[in-house]
Amino acid sequence: MYNLHLSAEQLEIRDTVRDFVTREIKPVALKASRLDVQDRSLLTAQIDAGSQLGLRTLALSEGLGGAGADALTFCIVTEELAAGDADIAGILSETSRLSHVLFDHAMNDAQRDKFLPKFLSDDKFHLAFAGHESETRLGVNYHRPDAADAAVKTSAAKSGGDFIVNGVKGTVANAPVAGLFAVLVNIPGRTSAGVLLVPADAPGVSVRAHDKAWHHGACGEVTFKDCKVPAANLLGGDAATLLGADAAGRGNPLYQALNLGIGRAAYDAALDYAHLRVQGGRPLIEHQAIATKLAEVAIKLEVARAAIWQAAWASDHPEAIADRSLADLPLTTMTQVFVGETLLKATKDAAEVFGAMGVMRDMPLQKYVNDARVCLHSGDGVTDAKLRIAEMLAGYRRASSGAMAAE
Amino acid sequence: MDFNLSNEQRSWQMAARKFAEEEIRPISLERDAIPTAAETFDWEIIKKGSKLGFRTLAVPKEWGGHGTDFVTQALVMAELAKADSAISKAFSQNWKWSHLISAACTQEQKERFLKPFVADDTFVLGKGITEPSAGSDNRLPPDDIKAGLKLKAERKGDEWILNGEKAFIANAPIGKLFFIDARTDHTVPLKQGTTLFLVPRDTPGFRIGKVFNKSGWRFYQNGEMIFENARVPHANVVGEVGGSVKKTGGRGGDTTGGDIFGDLELCANALGICDDACETAMKYAKTTKQGGQVLFAQQNIQLQINKMFMLTEALRSFVMRVAWEHDMKIHSCNAGLAMNYSTDVVQEVTELYMEVRGANGGVMDHHTDKLVRDSIIWSHLAGDSVQRMKVARRLAAA
Repeated sequence: MYNLHLSAEQLEIRDTVRDFVTREIKPVALKASRLDVQDRSLLTAQIDAGSQLGLRTLALSEGLGGAGADALTFCIVTEELAAGDADIAGILSETSRLSHVLFDHAMNDAQRDKFLPKFLSDDKFHLAFAGHESETRLGVNYHRPDAADAAVKTSAAKSGGDFIVNGVKGTVANAPVAGLFAVLVNIPGRTSAGVLLVPADAPGVSVRAHDKAWHHGACGEVTFKDCKVPAANLLGGDAATLLGADAAGRGNPLYQALNLGIGRAAYDAALDYAHLRVQGGRPLIEHQAIATKLAEVAIKLEVARAAIWQAAWASDHPEAIADRSLADLPLTTMTQVFVGETLLKATKDAAEVFGAMGVMRDMPLQKYVNDARVCLHSGDGVTDAKLRIAEMLAGYRRASSGAMAAE
Repeated sequence: MDFNLSNEQRSWQMAARKFAEEEIRPISLERDAIPTAAETFDWEIIKKGSKLGFRTLAVPKEWGGHGTDFVTQALVMAELAKADSAISKAFSQNWKWSHLISAACTQEQKERFLKPFVADDTFVLGKGITEPSAGSDNRLPPDDIKAGLKLKAERKGDEWILNGEKAFIANAPIGKLFFIDARTDHTVPLKQGTTLFLVPRDTPGFRIGKVFNKSGWRFYQNGEMIFENARVPHANVVGEVGGSVKKTGGRGGDTTGGDIFGDLELCANALGICDDACETAMKYAKTTKQGGQVLFAQQNIQLQINKMFMLTEALRSFVMRVAWEHDMKIHSCNAGLAMNYSTDVVQEVTELYMEVRGANGGVMDHHTDKLVRDSIIWSHLAGDSVQRMKVARRLAAA
């Protein structure tokens, strides 16, 4: 059975979000002052409005007050948001993703009782996972055991009924807007890393926003200095694995959906312009050269969407791999490489349609090209992603824990 | 076949390299980071470069310039661009139009305009062709008489009255003298009805509008020009009335300097960016360690760097061949092809550079970001489909 129909509910949520983006995000996001990639302030009011629409809690289960969206729905919503503003899409999707992992899976009842009401009642309450410390790329370690530097350096030392946290986490998504951090820590005396819940207002927590860094959404460095947190805030079991990097390459391809939204915005703008702009005696769209370019962009977007939707659906249906319906491959990592490389080319082609206006900072196309470039080169790079795919093809299994854990 | 440079060529190359490393590179990122487009320009670097000859490099010796050949010009552009592509272009833009003055202006016009240009370190040239509704239509003019530039010039006694506007004009915000293409006959297509005028900045009725806020080439100023009953003496007509396109090579195949130099200029400038990216990537790969090993130890890094150098050296061969063909007065379409090719190369090389840079963490530094932003300019100037079709049509007509 092969079925690509979206449910009535999925279609409705897509239309709702698309309408929200058209009415509330685009008029602000497309203002000239907002298009300069050097100077991009967060559209806070629109993020709050997105929260009121339920997009901050999209993936949280319905039982806990969310919408319980599956991976495919989540990707569809993220694409729509990113077509309006990649930063809004980045922030809302990160909080929504973490709300599901933390509240539905990782927390115990007491922890949930403590943090969920605050989270649900405040549209400005976002979540962040502070896992990242130093850049540990696969690189030289391809098909070799991990280097020792993969160990978590931020420590949480037990002191009576508390943990005292010390350390620095870099490039933490959502750090500047987070109300609660899930912090990957090294607990002396334990063999594997743990995850500790640290409220952003806990004494000893400080956040420095990366204002011009290479990211979408809000991102920052978090420093913990003698930060005291009740021992009850330690998450149990496999929290580190749940929250950590997608080692199996089969997670929800949210970042690729965000990338797709950027590409679609560029394509939509180029297609509109190609109808309006007349050169050579005809609208641009009637010229072979531009028509072919736009066709190539449309092809790239559609094939990218197919890959993203398949990977998203597969992340919710591991049985489809078990029953041999889908190939036993890291579909999300493969999607990451394809989408990143393909959509940078697509946005560049879309920008070319605009001629000189394609590079002006008060026009949207240069922003889309920049945003697509950020997608290609942020997080785990494409070169690294290919190596991770290759390790799986080679049958190489990593034994160690942490960011490069085996599946 | 002789690939050796003459002593004179070598000496200009070395002077350019020294100026680029000692004066241009130290200010490059700082200028690029200035948020307001109109404030990125720096007269000090222009004055310093002018005193060393980099403003008047292409002016014939008999007029007080340096009379260098095209090979020298290509070498200097690449050296300057290696430190900052936009600053290199700010210098070479003057060569482009001093070629045109030499080729197309009368003795009397040269006296009036070339002499003061040579004498004044802050005398900068520009040329206004593009208009808000006429970009590609000027490059590949259709037969439709309504298509193409619209700036109107009407004769009134000894003067021409100009009305209309130009957009994206290089050096407009800072230039002292501009070549302006205007329609003098609206009843015939662009090719026959356009006349070229010399318009000094202080011409009554002529003013500069906004400075365009580009994502790359920040130092290089592109501006609006507004003509409201601007009065230009008939003595400032370049060549014949209705002869602009023929004179400046709008149809291609021109060998007088302006247009054909422009093609060489863009590919030589791109070569400078590629050289910078290659050198920086190699240094980064050899000095940055990951897991106790330098990045260069990795096969993927070696392959990326190999491709960067391979493409760059192929571009260098093409650029130098085109420059040499210009000096030998060999008529070919290679300049246009090299310009198109440089678009593909400069973007692939800078994107590979990002890959190398990202191998250790993904965050791009300002220099990397600048190279990539600068190289995107080629998409809209040297390698868009119109620029490629234009060269194909030159080939077909050859």
